[in-house]
Amino acid sequence: MTFRPLIMSTPIIHFDHATFGFPSVIALEDISLEIQSGEFVGVIGPNGSGKTTLCRAVLGLLAPLKGHLRIFDCACDELRCHHRAKIGYLPQKGVVDRNFPVTVLETVMMGRYGALGLFTRPSEKDRKIALEALAHVGMEDHRDSALGHLSGGQQQRVFIARALAQQPKVLLLDEPTTGLDITTQHNVVELVRHLHDKLGLTVLLITHDINMIRSHVDRLVLLKTRLYAAGPPAEVLKPEILSQVYGKDLVITERDTIIVQDYHNHHH
Amino acid sequence: MLDLLAYDFIQRSLLAAVLVGALCSTIGVFVVLRGLAFMGAGTAHAAFAGVALGYLMGWPPLLMAILFGLATVWITGWVEEKGRMKLDVSIGILYTATMALAILFIGLMKAYNAEVYGYLFGNVLAVTSEELRTIAGLSIVVISAIVLFSKELYFIAFDQEMAAASGVPARRIFFLLLTLVALTVVISLKTVGAILVFAMILIPASTAYQLTHSLSTLTWYSVLIGIACSVGGVLISSYWDIPSGPAIVLLATLFFFIAVLLSPKRQRRTLART
Repeated sequence: MTFRPLIMSTPIIHFDHATFGFPSVIALEDISLEIQSGEFVGVIGPNGSGKTTLCRAVLGLLAPLKGHLRIFDCACDELRCHHRAKIGYLPQKGVVDRNFPVTVLETVMMGRYGALGLFTRPSEKDRKIALEALAHVGMEDHRDSALGHLSGGQQQRVFIARALAQQPKVLLLDEPTTGLDITTQHNVVELVRHLHDKLGLTVLLITHDINMIRSHVDRLVLLKTRLYAAGPPAEVLKPEILSQVYGKDLVITERDTIIVQDYHNHHH
Repeated sequence: MLDLLAYDFIQRSLLAAVLVGALCSTIGVFVVLRGLAFMGAGTAHAAFAGVALGYLMGWPPLLMAILFGLATVWITGWVEEKGRMKLDVSIGILYTATMALAILFIGLMKAYNAEVYGYLFGNVLAVTSEELRTIAGLSIVVISAIVLFSKELYFIAFDQEMAAASGVPARRIFFLLLTLVALTVVISLKTVGAILVFAMILIPASTAYQLTHSLSTLTWYSVLIGIACSVGGVLISSYWDIPSGPAIVLLATLFFFIAVLLSPKRQRRTLART
């Protein structure tokens, strides 16, 4: 057991036997999970395993049917969550209309709106925070460009900057690498890792691409409606654990690359 | 043409045109961006059914129009939220059902009532001082609400779930937007009419959409285009003695096609293809 610094000892997200979904369709069942401040956690699992449900729960958009969910000091049973502005969220690609007439800086400024609250106009200070967020992702030169004119990877950087402009404690990313080419995928994950180290953010990264993130995360959470495993990648990525979730679709090559047949078929 | 401006009724109708033009084109930005275009049409017909019922029963028509308009937008908003059916289906049903009600109410009237048809086709040149005061009062309410909540309205138009995830009370802002759409429609009924008010909400914002990639620029362009079309339409209508509603809407349509031809977005697409 290695020594962990004090900052890691406060759980900021705490699922306590929490069940989510509709009574007839359970998306996540009996989840117990603690996420410590400053951790970099990857959430993996096959399609329909409840990854996005977990994401919506952490955002405070979904109340547990059973059990409890605590985020910061807010119980999410009532959905009257005050913590939303503290979670910077990157939605799945394709959720946002990429042709929406909006500039890069206008997009990032939206990250300030939730934190500002109603009736408060963005000030010069908010503009500075937005520009700083753009600098963190290396997009400050594109601030007046149309969002729709950027490449997929650049747009993803802008959306990460929008999340950073909230000055969040947690960065929540839902499939941030989907639809990007392989080099850009690596760049985005490395950017997230860099931001985690530099800004001391807690990162929750949801993905189906196990190989992409295994070397970057502190812990992996393996989901398929239930929580199958949570721990360091070396402990979670064992054939006997993975096969419980992925079944016969799972292939592990000699170079220890994990291939899930299902996804292979989807993407080719 | 300038000597026209000396007439009281021209001054009144120009003022009404400026107010309605500015109002419709401002709310239109959020309607177009949030993908609620068809809702404007549905609300207009529902509001007209309210007017018809008002005249039939001897109740205040404007109040009935507001009630019918609000009921329509809230029901469609609720249906969209529940995700039970597609928005175009629910609006389509309410749209035709309220139009059927309007025709039924008119049919039940004992005598032909020209005023009811005034709400259907609109006549900005016949706006009375009292109506102008109502338009001005309600316009101030709607514009103030838009200014007060502009950042939240932009955010939910961009992505409502992301807005909710960031701590914006997105659901309440969405219903505020629906309410403002209903009020705008009712305010504009008398000047452009139930059939054409939808065009005044849709066209200036869509025209501006062709010309810019910035949200704030888009809003200013839309307002300027909306006012220019309304004022231009009123002047054309009084000078050549043609109905005001079609004059305004056809002028706006002309602007739209010019904007499509000049659009930097279109040129970019053409370049991308070659």
